[in-house]
Amino acid sequence: MIPKKHVVLFLCVLLGACAGILGIKPRNGERPFEHRAHVTKGVACTVCHQGIAKEGRTGPLHLPTTATCVSCHAKPHTAQSCGDCHGEKHQRQEVEIAKHALRFEHDKHVVASNGSCTKCHAKIGESRDVSLMPPMVSCFACHQHEKQFAARDCDGCHVDLPAEHVTPQDHLVHDGDFIREHGVRAAASPDLCATCHSERTCLSCHGVGTTPALPARLTFDQPRLSGLHRAGFLSRHAEESKNNPGLCTTCHAESTCRSCHEQQNVSAGGPIKRRSPHPSTWLNPSRGGDHGQAARLDPAGCAGCHGGAGEQLCIGCHKVGGPGGNPHGPGYTSRKDKLNDVPCRFCHRMGS
Amino acid sequence: MVAILLFPSASRAEPLRLRGDAFAQTPSPTGLLILSGEDRVKPWISAEGLAWLGAGVGGETGAGDVLSLAVKLRDPTGHGEVRIGRLMVTMGSIRPLQLDGASVLGRTPWGSSLEAFGGAPVVPRFGERSYDWAVGGRLAQSLGEKAKLGVAYVHKRDRGDLAAEEVGADLAIAPTRTFDLAARTAYDLVSWGLVDALLSASVRFASLRLEAFATRRSPSRLLPATSLFSVLGDAPATRAGASVRWNAAPRLDVLGSGAVYVQDDRAGYDAFVRANLRTDDEGKGVLGLELRRQGVPKSGWTGIRATAALPVLPRLRASTELELAAADHGGSRGAVWPWALVAMTYRASDRWDMALAAEVASRPAVAREVVGLFRASYAWDR
Repeated sequence: MIPKKHVVLFLCVLLGACAGILGIKPRNGERPFEHRAHVTKGVACTVCHQGIAKEGRTGPLHLPTTATCVSCHAKPHTAQSCGDCHGEKHQRQEVEIAKHALRFEHDKHVVASNGSCTKCHAKIGESRDVSLMPPMVSCFACHQHEKQFAARDCDGCHVDLPAEHVTPQDHLVHDGDFIREHGVRAAASPDLCATCHSERTCLSCHGVGTTPALPARLTFDQPRLSGLHRAGFLSRHAEESKNNPGLCTTCHAESTCRSCHEQQNVSAGGPIKRRSPHPSTWLNPSRGGDHGQAARLDPAGCAGCHGGAGEQLCIGCHKVGGPGGNPHGPGYTSRKDKLNDVPCRFCHRMGS
Repeated sequence: MVAILLFPSASRAEPLRLRGDAFAQTPSPTGLLILSGEDRVKPWISAEGLAWLGAGVGGETGAGDVLSLAVKLRDPTGHGEVRIGRLMVTMGSIRPLQLDGASVLGRTPWGSSLEAFGGAPVVPRFGERSYDWAVGGRLAQSLGEKAKLGVAYVHKRDRGDLAAEEVGADLAIAPTRTFDLAARTAYDLVSWGLVDALLSASVRFASLRLEAFATRRSPSRLLPATSLFSVLGDAPATRAGASVRWNAAPRLDVLGSGAVYVQDDRAGYDAFVRANLRTDDEGKGVLGLELRRQGVPKSGWTGIRATAALPVLPRLRASTELELAAADHGGSRGAVWPWALVAMTYRASDRWDMALAAEVASRPAVAREVVGLFRASYAWDR
């Protein structure tokens, strides 16, 4: 039985999604500015964007005001500011962001392009809702930056990458074995990661009890993407976890194994006991058996089934004075109070 | 999230990124709806969220969770930011933590940064809260544009008991255009010892990248100190090896890696080589082949994986994967575990994307399994 609150939440989200798909939304009064009409009438860009050709790194945005418009359109059809309807808010924001976040001087580029703005702003001729920011590929038509790309040194142009909210196209390659390297690389340049990846990228793997379908599962149609859980991982996960002790625990809680095995009804432990998965040499009444070394090699594997209440299984033998003796490895030390702290007190509660 | 979906155009003028993914698979049946979005309302405030709802997920009839729901306030000049909500904290050498809490970051003009966080570790799927808490931070210093050094600390409590206390350091150096080095290490302050360490050094030439790496992990220290299995003592696992990435031809990339592994009296190795051949200059079609071997006693396996993704029509793409994995000691679990997937993707528009696949496998727990997969994605991206 699905809880009512989940049904209500699901319906709300579904309603929201349908509204978006069907285009049910408040009316948008903005319309793209008719750059094309002005260009075809022979109005030079600098007539409206006065001063832009002499603008350096700092200074105003040189966006036209109502006064600029009425210098030609002497009889405006409304008393409102022209920019309220003609021109889109997001295009103005792009300019504001670029001014702050990019190291760029219009004056140098106007000279280099012989005064042709459309060489970079190619979409200016379209009357559709488009971004007028030149794509980075336009920069590459003149500038070569192989060395900067190789060193991932973006600071030459991008002063504040997170603010730009841009996505690199193909110049940033996750080369090498990026799964192993990504953590330490991300620590050195988190802002660079943030240009493409938001927190949910990290959380899709590192989140507690994360999305039930990992990215590798959701992108089943993109075999080129690599990932720890790619292809038939389900078949080989037991081998992979043993071969990389601790790797699973860096993302998953130790209870992950148990909960999944129980749900899949393939659990060797827990409430759905079939038979012991351990070999016959696992427990030896006189010499302990193999389980001690196995537990030291892969403690998370033990905790997967025997964690929580299952720890009592160990304590039955490995208590002070018990037949299991001292379970601690050579040189074991801990700051914990052995009489009061968990888990020490489970064995040491007798005051020993 | 619902409000964002209901009124997308209210934020239409902003750099809004909204996405919905619906995923279903047979024969469970399993259905999953993932909704994610992020938006910068003003240059100084942004928000992002990801929520999922599922039926038949993990054997449950109905479940859901909020993976991320955070608001970020940032100084547009880049000197600081504050994140509040359900968020991820990554502190260089400290393992990533998912928290319901806050994180504050401050940067100075001379390249220093200080980040501090605090909150309650996330309980998945609206589970019962035990009101654990965690605090920590990281102090980092850039040394010109050549290097960055960070020191981090974390303190976690599990129902009031000390679950982890670690201090760590991370370092990244790129002294030349062709060489870089990165390292991190974390030290357990509860039962003194190394938790985790990684060293990676790489050199780049025109079409070649060579990397040498070493890692060391203490599996017992990765468990919370409240677990009985954390007291068994230190049996660290050490891996050392090298990897090479070679752009052998304009459309051919080859990646190879090999490492030896030692833990206690157990030793082994692993190696893989992967080649990707793009069938066109834009990489729309790719053929791949991968060979992998893990030679660890009692748990070794060998695998081969072939992949292909090819555009069939302008909006239709076909892809397939085949993997054969043979365990050295499969025993009753079978000698070879084959796995195959065939998928078709239809991109109806810039916003709609649909994929259908059939997956066939024979694995240790199930002799033969056929699964149908379907995904539909809609992006409200501008």
